[in-house]
Parts: sequence; C-alpha cells; structure tokens
Amino acid sequence: MPNVTEGCVADAKNGVRLATRSEGGVHRDDLKDLTSLAVQGDRTAIESLIAQLRPMVVRYCRGRLGRVSGQYHIADDVAQEVCIAVLSALPRYRDMGRPFASFVFGIASHKVADALRSSVRSAVPTQDLPDGPDEGPGPEETVVRYIEAEHARRLLSRLPDNQRELLMLRVVSGLSAEETGNVLGMSPGAVRVAQHRALARLRAMAELESIA
Amino acid sequence: MAETDTLVEALSRRMPVSTSDAAVTLLAALIDDVDQRCSSVSITPSG
Repeated sequence: MPNVTEGCVADAKNGVRLATRSEGGVHRDDLKDLTSLAVQGDRTAIESLIAQLRPMVVRYCRGRLGRVSGQYHIADDVAQEVCIAVLSALPRYRDMGRPFASFVFGIASHKVADALRSSVRSAVPTQDLPDGPDEGPGPEETVVRYIEAEHARRLLSRLPDNQRELLMLRVVSGLSAEETGNVLGMSPGAVRVAQHRALARLRAMAELESIA
Repeated sequence: MAETDTLVEALSRRMPVSTSDAAVTLLAALIDDVDQRCSSVSITPSG
C-alpha cells in the first residue's frame, strides 16, 4: 500500500469536487475511473483518490465534532481513521451504481458517531510549537471566528438529524446536491427542498436567539 | 427555494456571499472555521 501524504484543508478550496463542476474540479467520471483503478490496486490512483477525498472528509469531521480545547485534533484524527478505513475497504469495494462518495461518507458518519459516543474527546493533546512565524489570523480574529463557529455548531445540533447531516454534507463538506442526495438516498430535488427547510429552521433559531 | 439553492451552492463552492441572512452568515462562519489550514498528515497503511 502507498505512503500517502496529504496537504491541508485550505488547499481543497480550489481543487476538490466530486461532481461535474467546471472550476478546477474533478469530473465525476474521472473519479469513477480513479476509483476503478484504485480498487484494482493502482498505487497512483489510490493516492490521487485519497488526496481528493480527504479534505472533504476532514471538513465533515470538523463540522460534526468541533474543537476540543480549541483544537481540531480529535476531528482530524477521526478523518484520518476514515481515510484508513476507506483504504482498507478498497479491495472489497464493488461499484453498485452509487457514487464512491456514498461509500466514503457512510464510513465517515459511523466513525463520527463512534467518536461522539466514546470518551476519547476528553483527551487534550498538546499543541506543537510552530517552527516559524504564525501566518494565521491574530488572537482577536481567531476568538471571534471560534465564537461564531461554535454558535453555528450549537444551533445545527438542535436541528433534526437528517437536516443537520444534509447541511454538513452539502455546505460544510462541499458536496453538490446530486452527491448529497446519493449519500442520503434522496433525489437532488428532494435535497433542494430539504436544504430550504433546514435553512429556514436555522434562520428562525438564530433570529429567536438574537431577540432573546 | 431557488434563491436558497443559489446561496447554498455558493457556500458549498466556497464563493463569497453577500447577505444579511442569519443562517447563511452562521454557516459561512462554520465553513471559515473548518477550512482552516491543518498540519500535514501522513497515512501509511501497512500491507
């Protein structure tokens, strides 16, 4: 099996899409071909496949699990477990007509559920000391962003499970309506109806909190 | 519903959205947070 070294989540903004999208993305047929080659053990295909999937899996896990002690270590570890589970299951994967994303996010959903049930979240890893100057946002911006994100996560946690999962896949992971529908067993039209309702509910909760 | 889909699609594609919609603002904040750069990670499965 290959040694797969991944980049960062931010890199996914321009490059990772499972759907048929024009801007710098991966054509769905390309991914299908890549999956076929990966299942047959093609090392380059396996590396490419994981490189394309991992950023979305990380986003999903981060969105669902949130931070622990201000860090995403636990969510990133779970995302890593998902990728390893996908790698392990690849030789047994059979194309049954559903997109590979359904398979991946099915695994991700179970891993996240396991993590939520376990006490592993109480572990507090120590942050590594940076090798050079930190080019990230300053402390104030970091705190504001953290508070807003936690507010979003708290309201999302109050949505019905199906609506929360839909928004996590469609918005946070960055899947198209078609891909989200394939993962959740819904038509793209049903996804659009459901996302409209989920957003309306989220909006109502946010507005209610702002009044209170 | 079409307007919602346009906003959701923009968020999904990480395109800038200009709106006062509280739900969209919240989701944009969450996206901004989860998209933060993370450290490089190696996967070295055995086999």
